[in-house]
Amino acid sequence: MGNLLSSLFGIGMAILTIKVFFYQTDHLGGWGYADVLLLLGIFNVLQGLIDFALRPNMSRLLQHIRTGTFDHILTKPVDSMFYVSFRHLVFWRLIDVLLGIGLMIYALIEKHYMPSVLDAAMFIVSIGAALVLIYALWMMLMTTSFWVIRIDDLSFVFNSFFETTRFPISMYRSWLRIVLTYVLPAAFITSTPALSLLGKWNGMTTIASIILAGLFLWLSRRFWRYALRSYTSA
Amino acid sequence: MFRKYVVLLRMKYVEMFAYRLATIVWMTGAMVQPLITMMVWMNIDPHQENAFIFYFAALIFVERMTSAWDVWEMEREIREGTYSYQIVRPFHPIHWAIAENIVYKALFFVILVPVWSILAIFVPALRLGQISGTQWLLFFCALLLGAVIRFLFSYMFGLLGFWITKVTAVYGMFEAVSLFLSGRIAPLSLLPPSVKTLSLYLPFRYMVGFPIEILNGDIRGLDIVFGFGWAVAWSLIFMLAVMLLWKAGLRKNQAVGG
Repeated sequence: MGNLLSSLFGIGMAILTIKVFFYQTDHLGGWGYADVLLLLGIFNVLQGLIDFALRPNMSRLLQHIRTGTFDHILTKPVDSMFYVSFRHLVFWRLIDVLLGIGLMIYALIEKHYMPSVLDAAMFIVSIGAALVLIYALWMMLMTTSFWVIRIDDLSFVFNSFFETTRFPISMYRSWLRIVLTYVLPAAFITSTPALSLLGKWNGMTTIASIILAGLFLWLSRRFWRYALRSYTSA
Repeated sequence: MFRKYVVLLRMKYVEMFAYRLATIVWMTGAMVQPLITMMVWMNIDPHQENAFIFYFAALIFVERMTSAWDVWEMEREIREGTYSYQIVRPFHPIHWAIAENIVYKALFFVILVPVWSILAIFVPALRLGQISGTQWLLFFCALLLGAVIRFLFSYMFGLLGFWITKVTAVYGMFEAVSLFLSGRIAPLSLLPPSVKTLSLYLPFRYMVGFPIEILNGDIRGLDIVFGFGWAVAWSLIFMLAVMLLWKAGLRKNQAVGG
């Protein structure tokens, strides 16, 4: 019950923040109020999934490395990277996912827009790419905990980055937009799926998101293997 | 008393130094939300770009200088049971928290002031030439009061941890509300009138927004007096709350442990 209240409170505050901005304007980077609400809904869904599956395992990995129990994990027949990242799940965080979906539906109703089948398909593709990107970035961050032992909770770093996905990518200025599209692909995480659902999808962008997602996943596995090598050789 | 503080400060300095990487990461991370918010406002009203740059840079500075994390420390200590050791010490545990706050805030000051000065060379919006001496004096007084209020507020919740187990969650809710009422989502002048009025009477504005308003020149004369009045009032209220909660907490602890 307390969890439900805290999730409601969280999304309520986020919506109020958007309202404060829209008290002074009609659009944000070309996006209207309902569009931004849709983006926020997607953001909430993704954040809920991160809190459900990824975040609980971050501190545990750090503990494993510090206390030496990580070697035990390495002996398991399962792939260590996936084992470590999905071991513990916090189910009540799925409330955030449901609230996010609710907000998305509300936003679409507000906009009087019904996504076509093609819109929905592009959305599914881009949100899939977004999930892969989030996972890859998160894993790369977790992998650094092999070397950075003084920081108790690296998830704070991810949060800071993830905050940038709260707003439409078109809001950011030139060079920052480039960084947030190709270096730390915030654009493909929330903006691209939102645009797809609003019927404003672009074939090239969707393909780019798939390619980028694959690239980052490959990078994160390389990084993980590198970390394992230097860990086990020590 | 003073010599004890010197010892405490040195201890806390060593502690902070050991965690310097974490501290830098944490401090940099705290800048992200204000910077993103700044970009949103610059998008909404490009004509006011310079004003927003100054406002949010000042916000980052003031927010770091008044930040208080004591509620998390205390919740952890109470949960782990180490807080009872603190109570037995001859020197009141609040001094340890105050010493830690001083050390970290000195660090933030030492980092942020040079960074601002360097940025001011490239970014004209950050130039401070037009601020009068009186304004500076009032600003630093308001800043100090803001730090005191925020610290006491946080410590108060920390003490409530004797009775409420998830007190950090409750504190988190107040922090979320504070984002609006202290001017961290929007400069207070841009908020709907009802929210603006509410913020004048609640402590949150005096934690962060009020010093910035003085520096900005947004308020003067009687409004400043009014502001200081309320800031002092809230500090006294929280000071009283901390003292009462402490006495009650001691009694509760003694009843349990004996």
